[in-house]
Amino acid sequence: MITFDQVTYCYPTDTATPTIPVLHKLNLHFHAGEFTLLVGPSGAGKSTLLRLLNGLVPHFSGGTLTGKLRVNGLDPVLATPRVMSRHVGFVFQDPEAQFVMERVEEEIAFALENAATPAQAMRLRVEETLDLLDLAALRQRPIATLSGGERQRVAIAAALALRPTILVLDEPTSQLDPQSAEEVLQALVRLNQDHGLTVVLAEHRLERVLPFVDRVVYLPGKGGAPISGTPRDVLAAIDLGPPLVQLAKALGWHPLPLTVKEGLSFNRQIVASLADHPVPPAVVTQGKPPLLQARNLEVAYGAQRILHGVNLALAPGEIVALLGRNGAGKSTLLKSLVSLVRVARGAVTIHGRTTQGLSVAEICRQVAYLPQDPNALLFADTVREELLITLRNHGLHPALGVVETLLTQLGLADKAECYPRDLSVGERQRVALAAILVTKPAVILLDEPTRGLDYLAKVQLMALLKMWRMEGKAMLLVSHDVELVAALADRVLLMSQGEIIADGPPADLLRASPLFAAQIARLFPHTSWLTVEDVLANVGRGKEEAV
Amino acid sequence: MTSLRLHPVAWVSWLLAILIGVTTTRNPLYLGLILLWLAAVMVTARLVLGQHFTRPPLSPWRWGSVMILSTALFNALNVHVGTHSLLHLPAWLPLFGGPITLEALLYGALNGLVLLALLLAFGVVNGVLPVWALVGLIPRAYYPVAVVVAIAVTFAPVTVRRLQQIQEAQAIRGHQVRGLRCWLPLLLPLLTGGLEHAFQLAEAMMARGFASQAAVVYTLPTQVMVLLGLVGVLGGLLVQMLTVRTLLSMGLLVGGSAVLIAALWGAGRSQPHTRYRPAPWRGRDWLVLCGALLVIVCFLLPVPGVDRVSLFYYPYPTLTLPAFAIPLGLATWGLLMPVLALLLDGLPKPPAPRPNERPTEMVEARR
Repeated sequence: MITFDQVTYCYPTDTATPTIPVLHKLNLHFHAGEFTLLVGPSGAGKSTLLRLLNGLVPHFSGGTLTGKLRVNGLDPVLATPRVMSRHVGFVFQDPEAQFVMERVEEEIAFALENAATPAQAMRLRVEETLDLLDLAALRQRPIATLSGGERQRVAIAAALALRPTILVLDEPTSQLDPQSAEEVLQALVRLNQDHGLTVVLAEHRLERVLPFVDRVVYLPGKGGAPISGTPRDVLAAIDLGPPLVQLAKALGWHPLPLTVKEGLSFNRQIVASLADHPVPPAVVTQGKPPLLQARNLEVAYGAQRILHGVNLALAPGEIVALLGRNGAGKSTLLKSLVSLVRVARGAVTIHGRTTQGLSVAEICRQVAYLPQDPNALLFADTVREELLITLRNHGLHPALGVVETLLTQLGLADKAECYPRDLSVGERQRVALAAILVTKPAVILLDEPTRGLDYLAKVQLMALLKMWRMEGKAMLLVSHDVELVAALADRVLLMSQGEIIADGPPADLLRASPLFAAQIARLFPHTSWLTVEDVLANVGRGKEEAV
Repeated sequence: MTSLRLHPVAWVSWLLAILIGVTTTRNPLYLGLILLWLAAVMVTARLVLGQHFTRPPLSPWRWGSVMILSTALFNALNVHVGTHSLLHLPAWLPLFGGPITLEALLYGALNGLVLLALLLAFGVVNGVLPVWALVGLIPRAYYPVAVVVAIAVTFAPVTVRRLQQIQEAQAIRGHQVRGLRCWLPLLLPLLTGGLEHAFQLAEAMMARGFASQAAVVYTLPTQVMVLLGLVGVLGGLLVQMLTVRTLLSMGLLVGGSAVLIAALWGAGRSQPHTRYRPAPWRGRDWLVLCGALLVIVCFLLPVPGVDRVSLFYYPYPTLTLPAFAIPLGLATWGLLMPVLALLLDGLPKPPAPRPNERPTEMVEARR
């Protein structure tokens, strides 16, 4: 079906120096009807590999390609993307940037109109495609009014309109919240299992797809040879993996469990040996005066109330996580804390002083706020300049070494002279963080900081947050990433319909909810464990005491 | 089921008839009739379409009355001709000084009526036709143009939303807009972001088989024909403006339009694209089109038995009763056809309770 034979590819450069190839002598084989998961760090060439399949690389990107590549018996380079569009459907990362038409039906019909499908056949094809992705109810809706998950389903439908036999998806869920991601992944599983479509998927969220995947291909990056095989084999060989897999590897469980259900058969022995060792509750430090406090906040857009009666306090050295469904008002709460949205009632105090009457700029000197899309912040020519601009905006003079220290802290010291938009997603986010932290605020608000980050970037971010906790900063983190919250948060707030409905330690709040339960919590429902470290620490202690 | 009750071409022909109608006459009787029919169409469209009628952001009635008042005042203050003097402004006032006459006031109000009619007509068409239906009117020969317009329509709201995000993001960095230079931090990310968006979209379109270079073959005869048609139409308009209406200008207009339509149709046939669900052309669309054609023909062309002199009305130097030709008055009824066509479709039925789907299926089958 798809064969890579000694494929090497380099992106075009304007310098004469030889560049490191993104893909180096790649040998791979994909079978028809298989569901293949492509994993690896950012920049490892996942996107390049996927774009080779339909000829976008090198037709769109340029560059040099050597070796032999066959897709459905065709050479995508000779066949051109136009012909390949009948064999390979392609779905991109950003649900916003791939639509041509205004409404769902027209979007699906677009490729068919281009291919001059007769009107009658087109009508039938659109109907079939709508049913395939369960979109019939949305057919007349403008795409702009759809949720992220619905949009990606429309994008899949649009890609399948020409009836390709291969569906290729480049991180289709990285911009989505877990519910929407789930919706998209389930649609993929159905397309593969019920309709025999060959699916090639690049994805960070392993835990949801692993049980359905036939094969995992790991691209290590830097031209290294890929590791390809069944999910169990590949996961055993690489460091990546959901908490369940990491725990299983640490405890030597065999065969490697991929679902909580499979894991439950291993956990019994551990739970049994710990039955009479109740775990002491986590110690919560209290008593310090809060750095930031909100009382009875109320926000309304027109007649619609977005927030009502929200009370909130952030103590120094505390990481508070804010969880909730889409549209629960989480982002609005963050914005209202820095006066980006008008607060109808209630008050926000920082260091005990009210923020009423202060401008956004004056508030943001004390409270850093990282919006969802860090790209909106960046416009300067160099990373260093981004930091200096913020200082200039606030009328501050760059104190000696402040900029350098911050850049070193964020691991950007060697990128100080780079153009920010050329950096990777994780690096760009750290530049945005640097740009808002250069005024040394005591409070940091983060809106979904792990969106689109790969495993390594996430680990780096977690290390930063832990460091700032040591420095005594107060942090509020809006996130859908339950595992991150489980590993970091001192306190969890649950939000629904504009109200905070629960406020407590993560060990209590990250267990029962079907949406916000950590994998480890589901594996050990009668303990207070949330992370792999929790389990390993307790298992170690349990064994010692048993001896 | 499409949400269109009438074919977009029918609506556009109706709009064209109104444009021609109100620009060829200043006779208050004809203008009044046209306005009456317009109002009837608007009310019916709102009733029949209900929620699907896109309301204009400003009420055309309120705007229209403001417009009639202001054009009347403006004309009265500037044109001091006429026998019925209402009051006398001191002569030392530049422009405004002199007698304020009833004639000038009335003629100004008539011009206001014309503007109100235009506003109403565009309000109706904007209300009944969604953007995609208008995009669908772009001739098939200009398929890439249609695609670009469609993209622009979806691009605009995205850009507005992005600008808002950027504004917020810069505000939290302490940015304050004080002068022109301060727009740079807002515009630069917007432009680079827009460019990135464009590249992604181009990639997505390529992945779905869109390739403009393979598509269009503009042959020389087609291009010459389009050019000739345009020259004909423009020449006809020019002749009509410079001289009195003659058969020459009419011939040029009609001939030019015919050549243009033929050229575009011919070029469209050679296009390797098909259209998803083209709006169906039904009997009621003929009704509207014929009504519109009736108005266009009677108001523009010399038709035996129709006295087109009565279209001309001029209140200076003294007010006279406008003339009225019954055939022309009857011809304006053609503009009322959308009411008939919309009512043929029936008023919206109240949402019936649907315990089971069977009965409707049987009705469908019988049809």
